[in-house]
Formats: sequence, C-alpha cells, structure tokens
Amino acid sequence: MRLVAMALRNLFRQKRRTLVALSALIVGLAGLVVFQGYITRLMSSFRDRTILSGIGHLQVAGGEGYFEDGEYNPYAYLIRGADEAMEKLRKEPGVEAVFPSTGFTSIAGYGEKSATLLVKAYPAERMYFSPPESAGKVAAVPPADRFELGGLVAGRAPGVSDRDQLVLGETAARVLGVRVGDVVTLMGILPEGALNGRDFTVAAIYRNPGRDKLFAFTDYQTAADFTGIAEPPVFHVLAQDLDRADSLAARLPAGVAHRDWRQLAPFFIQVNTMFNGFLAVIRSIILLVTLFILGNTMNRIVFERMREWGTLRAVGTPKGGILALVVMEGCFLGLAGSILGIGAGFAVSQLVNLCGGLPFRSGEGLAPFMIRLAPDMRAVWLNLAPVVVTAALASLLPARRAVGLTPAECLRQI
Amino acid sequence: MQIAATATPLIRVMAVGKHYQLEKTQAPALIEVSLDVGEGERLCLMGPSGSGKSTLLNIIGCIDRASSGSVVIDGEETERLDDARLSRFRNRTMGFVFQSFNLIPVLSVFENVEYPLLLQGLPSKERRSRVDELLQKVGLAEYARRSPENLSGGQRQRVAIARALVTRPRLVIADEPTAALDHATGSSIMELMVDMNETAGSTLIFSTHDPSVARYAKRIVRMLDGRIDSEGEAA
Repeated sequence: MRLVAMALRNLFRQKRRTLVALSALIVGLAGLVVFQGYITRLMSSFRDRTILSGIGHLQVAGGEGYFEDGEYNPYAYLIRGADEAMEKLRKEPGVEAVFPSTGFTSIAGYGEKSATLLVKAYPAERMYFSPPESAGKVAAVPPADRFELGGLVAGRAPGVSDRDQLVLGETAARVLGVRVGDVVTLMGILPEGALNGRDFTVAAIYRNPGRDKLFAFTDYQTAADFTGIAEPPVFHVLAQDLDRADSLAARLPAGVAHRDWRQLAPFFIQVNTMFNGFLAVIRSIILLVTLFILGNTMNRIVFERMREWGTLRAVGTPKGGILALVVMEGCFLGLAGSILGIGAGFAVSQLVNLCGGLPFRSGEGLAPFMIRLAPDMRAVWLNLAPVVVTAALASLLPARRAVGLTPAECLRQI
Repeated sequence: MQIAATATPLIRVMAVGKHYQLEKTQAPALIEVSLDVGEGERLCLMGPSGSGKSTLLNIIGCIDRASSGSVVIDGEETERLDDARLSRFRNRTMGFVFQSFNLIPVLSVFENVEYPLLLQGLPSKERRSRVDELLQKVGLAEYARRSPENLSGGQRQRVAIARALVTRPRLVIADEPTAALDHATGSSIMELMVDMNETAGSTLIFSTHDPSVARYAKRIVRMLDGRIDSEGEAA
C-alpha cells in the first residue's frame, strides 16, 4: 500500500514535468475523443441516411434474383400475398413503416428530345424531398418513416391523391428541357415485354448528384396502374432502431427473399471500415507518442531517483518492489492523462454540440448537415485501457534499468 | 591481514576483494581484506578518500557484491543469497545510516521510519508503537507528520537513525554519518548512535576520516589503498 501512495505522491514531485507529460496526453486524447465522436456520429448519420435513401432496414422481394437485376426486370419477382405479409409486419413491435415499391425502365420524350429514365415508385406518403428553401442552408433531419430521395429544386412532390405525376431529376430535366408543369411522355416496358405510353406531368424537379440524371420518381399506385401489376416485386421495412431491424427478418413469411441494410449498402460498410481504419491509425500514432513521452519521462525519473532506489533496496525493498513502484508511477501518469484527456474530449464535444455541431457537406450542391459529436463509453475504454497499458510498457524498460544495478551502484549516482 | 575480534564474531569478512571495471582496466577497491566484528561491537573504519572503507561497508551491508572472498553475517553466507532473500536479510538484520541521510521525500518523517516495518508485514499497531518510541528517543516526536524536506540536516540524520534502528537490527552500518553536518550536530548524532549501540546492543560499524568522530568507536580499523593498514582500540 505504501508503494501505491509513494507512486501517487511521486507524480507531484516534478510538477512542471508531470504537467508537460500530462498536457501532451490530454491534447492527444481529447483530439482523439472529439474525432472519434465526430466519426461515430458522421457514420451513424451516413448510415441512417443511406438506409433512408431508398434501401430501408430490410428489403423483401419475390425472389433472390431481384437483388441482382430487379431494378431492370421487377416483374419477374412479384411477391404473392404481399399485402398480407406487409400488414403482418406492420403489427410487429419496433416497425416504423412497411411499404411497397416498384419501378420500370422508360424512355421519356418531350418535344424532339428524349432521355432514358429509371422510374422508381413508392407510396407518395413515403417519399421525402427536402424543401427548396433549404438549399445552401443546413439540411433538415429527414423523417424516419420515409425515404429521402433528394432536394427539391422546383415544384412540389406528388401528394397521396395525385396521379400521373413525375419528380424528375435536375440533369434529366435539363437534358429534356422541361420545367415544372410540363408534360412528358414516358414509354415504359411492361411485364411481357410490351410497351405502354402515358403522359406524366412534371410535378417537381429534384437534385441528387449521381442520381438525378437517371432516376425519376412517381407514386406507387400510378406505377402499378401503368405497368399493370397487382403485387409489388419488393417491399421495404423501416424499423425504429437497428437492433429491432435485425430481428425482423425472422418474422418474414416463407418463400420470400430478403436483404438487410448491411447487405444492401456495401458502400457504407466500406466507408465505415475505412474511417475505423483511420481511427485505429490515429490511435496507434497517439499511443506511439504516449510511449515516447512516458518512456522519456520515466527514463529521466529513474535516473534522477537512483539514490532513492538504492536506499529503498538497502532497507529491504526487493527488486520487484522497485519495478512495481516505477511501473505504477508510469501507469498513474497514463491513467491521469487518459482520464483528463478523455474528460477534456467529452467537454469539447459538449461545447461543440452546444454551438450546434460541426457542418458536413456530403456533396457539391447539397445542403450541409450539422454533425453533433457523439463520444460514448467506447471512447473511454478504447483510449483509456491502451494508454495505461502503453504507460506500463513505457515504464518497464526504465524500471528494469533501476533494478539492474546493485543498491550500492544506485547510491553512488549523483 | 587477519584482524581478530571478540569471541563470537557476528561478521566474518574473509579475503574479500573488489575491483571496478574501467574501460580497459580493472581498478582494485579492496584487496584481500579479512575482518571479524563481534556482536555489540562499535567499530570505526578510518582512512582517506578512496581507501576502500565505503566499499567494505557496502559489502558488509550486502548492498554490493565482492569480486572475491566471502562474508558471513550471523552464520549466513551472504553471497549465496538471491535478491529476494538478501533483501529480507538486510531488512531484518541491518540498519543503514547514510552520509546524505537518504530519506524518501514523498514520505513523512513517520512514514520514513515506518517503511522498513511495512516490509516486515508487522501489524499497524505494533508499527505505530515502535515508530513513536524511536521518534521519542531521537527527539523528533513532534515532527512525525512533517516532510523530511522541512527538517534541518541534523534532524534528518536523526530520522535516518530512527529508520535504521526501528527493525531492531543486529547490525547498524553508517557511512560517514556526520560528513554532511557541522561539528556540534555531528557530535550529537554520534552520541545518539553510541547511546543506541549501548542500550539496544546492536553492532555499529561506521566510517569516517575525522579523528574526532572516530573516537566514538571502541575499535578503529585504518584502511589505506584497499587494504587494512592497522587496527587498534580507540583512545
């Protein structure tokens, strides 16, 4: 017990040096906690937005092949008894929404211009386009029970009772030369390969880089009428949280195929893995710096206190006691630096959150959204434990040096 | 040279040699030194700087290893003990008083004196009683809670003496215990050590190059160039 007290008190002997070592640890760890909080929230926001961008927590289709070529040939995978299955799922606890979708490939014509479009159709009440007044401003948080399909540039998204209306991408609209209110003719491919044509009114124009050249949106009922399908090829399940989403797959009826959001969003998984890799690299660098700082500090401490080690051993402290004393002091230094650094990281995160968070713009022309930092208990254990272990390692070598000499040799040191 | 001591020697130093390895050469610090020290003796090692008295004290005190020869203390061949047993042996058999006091600055006066008893695993009550008794004897009872850094040199050396005696050792080793003190303080420290030697009966071996300090010994061994030069009773 006295060794523990001595190790603790030793921290306050060279206050300036302790402060310098602690400061380095605090700055490094606080930065790591803030960065980790930023990445955690950024990725969870990215994940939620990916899920709500048209994927859902779970997609249920009429056959496995839908997930290969369903967007181009949805009619091959129509779900029998889809309404009943969806109704059953809606009653499951933790389900936010269950709704069908379909789509068709079409050629859009306006005057003498034409463009190929992939028309996606969801129930009107499940489609969300961020309003045009938010352009360039901080984006509003999309509702959790709808798909966020882009930002409106002009017009108004179709309502529940609107039919034969189209939300056209900004690029496609430019190619076709249409404006809100114009009527375009879509020539779509039907289940048996026949063609159908119908006039659609451009209700709105949306912006979504990478999407707005090819994708257009209409309401599900219009698409079902246009293609003549009675059952959807796929339906989407939105859960209230991720944990519940995982258990919903077990509630599906037999004969359907399904994919969860992880399988449907490989890009998110890749980005998430990449950012976790970044974090691991930064953590490793900080641990390396910690090793250097604490190793250097403990080295100096051991050399300066040689006579003390000699005295302690002369009065009967075994080598192991000296080793423990030095390593404990290093660990306490690491522990204090970790606690203060992590605490500072949480405090800075709180301060940033009080100021509204940090802005993040996911693409050119898209409204930025505010990332509120989310450091959690993982930040404590992921940073505290490795730093304390690193501190112990950093102290071990100097400690071995302290016990490598005889007490008399230690006592001879000035 | 073999110097005979009292009937039953507590310490037998037999043909001890010690050399220090320099870059390419070996510097002898002790050459074939043999010495017996009896139980309860008060022995002074005298000699100029570099004569080997500190080296001999360190070897007797088991805080340094001899290059050759052997030391037997209380029937124990010290060179055969491993670190753990040697540490325990030092803790139970010996007390050390150093020239520059060597108190632990992060421990209070009380804790410094108590420390060797903690290593023995004595219960708290017994430790307190022994430390209080020793601090009373050295006249520092009222300084028990102070940091050693707030004490004078003489007071620090008194604390060191209390620490050396608190385990009731059979042997106390003091390497130039008065060298860092003024004459009056040094005399009072030596009187205290003599008193302890007489009342506790522990063997006291100290080194000095000051004849006025050496007179506190009963036997004086003079060293020169790593050898025992002469030996005799104090005047």
